[in-house]
Amino acid sequence: MRRVAVTGIGAVSALGNNLQEFHRSLGAARCGVRELPAEVTMGSGVKVGALIDWNPAAHFKGPEASILDRVTQFALTAAGEAIASSSLDPASKDRNRIGVYWGTGMGGANTLDASYAAVYGKNDWRMRPLSVVMGMNNAAGSNVALKWGLRGPFANFSTACSSSAMAIGEAMHVIRSGRADAVVAGGSEALFTPGMLTAWQALRTLAPADTADAAASCKPFDKRRGGLVLGEGAAALVLEEESHARARGAKILGFISGYGNSCDAVHMSKPDRDGQVRAMHEALAEAGLAPEAIGYINAHGTATIVGDVVECEAIQAVFGDAAARIPVSSTKSMHGHLLGGAGAIEMAAALMPFSDGVIPPTANLEQPDPACAVRHVPLKAERVEIPRAVMSNSFAFGGSNVVLIAERE
Amino acid sequence: MDTLARIKDLAAKELSLDPAKLDPNAPLADLGVDSLTFIEFMFKVEDEFGVKVSDEDLRNIKCMADLERHVATSLQAAGKA
Repeated sequence: MRRVAVTGIGAVSALGNNLQEFHRSLGAARCGVRELPAEVTMGSGVKVGALIDWNPAAHFKGPEASILDRVTQFALTAAGEAIASSSLDPASKDRNRIGVYWGTGMGGANTLDASYAAVYGKNDWRMRPLSVVMGMNNAAGSNVALKWGLRGPFANFSTACSSSAMAIGEAMHVIRSGRADAVVAGGSEALFTPGMLTAWQALRTLAPADTADAAASCKPFDKRRGGLVLGEGAAALVLEEESHARARGAKILGFISGYGNSCDAVHMSKPDRDGQVRAMHEALAEAGLAPEAIGYINAHGTATIVGDVVECEAIQAVFGDAAARIPVSSTKSMHGHLLGGAGAIEMAAALMPFSDGVIPPTANLEQPDPACAVRHVPLKAERVEIPRAVMSNSFAFGGSNVVLIAERE
Repeated sequence: MDTLARIKDLAAKELSLDPAKLDPNAPLADLGVDSLTFIEFMFKVEDEFGVKVSDEDLRNIKCMADLERHVATSLQAAGKA
């Protein structure tokens, strides 16, 4: 069996624009959620989000950023960090065997929102010429392939909150199948536009702002939780066939060894315990691991009333007695919900204990809900013995469930 | 402000090109401006000057000096300059 190593990681979020800042923030339980400026929220009624303080000129030279939607700028920045940290020089390899697997829920939402605002709002029917190529869902991943000349297998997944987890799982499979030596896999999201925020607000699933501390608005597993808090950003992994990585002396950060994928087929937005259980079982079976081998679970944990309870029940069902001692946390409390980018950035968080044994916490978890009976990591990071394996859950609207397992070197 | 200075200002704002270093006769590709980037820039130029640039005109513009000449001609034809 070809094993699939992680040799590089990049992350862009409200917790910082590189992996080091991301891990440092998670370790310190620092929240990137804040009050949104009026020009972003407009009439949407949304008050808080994990908005990135983004300056394209810090990441792109000359005209490069002028034709890239924000979601693509995040993608290229995260992918650039992942590729640089992997020390993989695509130009020195067979680039027909290096691919890109990406995920995003809403694609170039900023471009489309602004273009539609002109058309419908101002009756201005002269649209930006690049609205299509900047706004299309595969623009972020395609730009990653273009920038580094990665000519191997390409795929773009759009399954809402499981998009980038699916990209990583499918990328692992395409490497295992022998069709690629390496894949840049991840996802990105950038949907802080007035139109998008209004759509989310209408769904009545967003948390109200914490009036005492806006940064503490996202409260997964807490009795006081009131919904999810939107975030934005990107994360990318360089996944590489083990012997390919070893031959060039790459540092191996872990292995992606299990991937579960199921669909609830029950309800469009209400999660289903059995669908989640099936995805977790499938991931464990593929990795060939007993549940007890998992030393940390990065939960989907969006902080919705129903979702958190269902996920904890699913974890109980799969892990049984072991659930009492396996640390579970939701890092969405800090970086917000990256939707299409969530699975990738949460895998970047889940891999954190492999480097230093630090388990990222669930911030703002002061009053655990008894209905969410798992072994929490409340408020503060914990240092543990480096676990053998970690799990990351991504459960999406539409009923799509993806579970990834990574094992240490 | 003359037309070239306005184009340079717009290029600074939209394309992050330093006006002091922008050579009006340099091929667009040498400025890092590919065909898609230029189409997007022309959209802003049309807004800035209130002119239209046809597809055929677009194909004949190879550098910022070409663009300046095209805009100046269009403005004259429209009686705006």
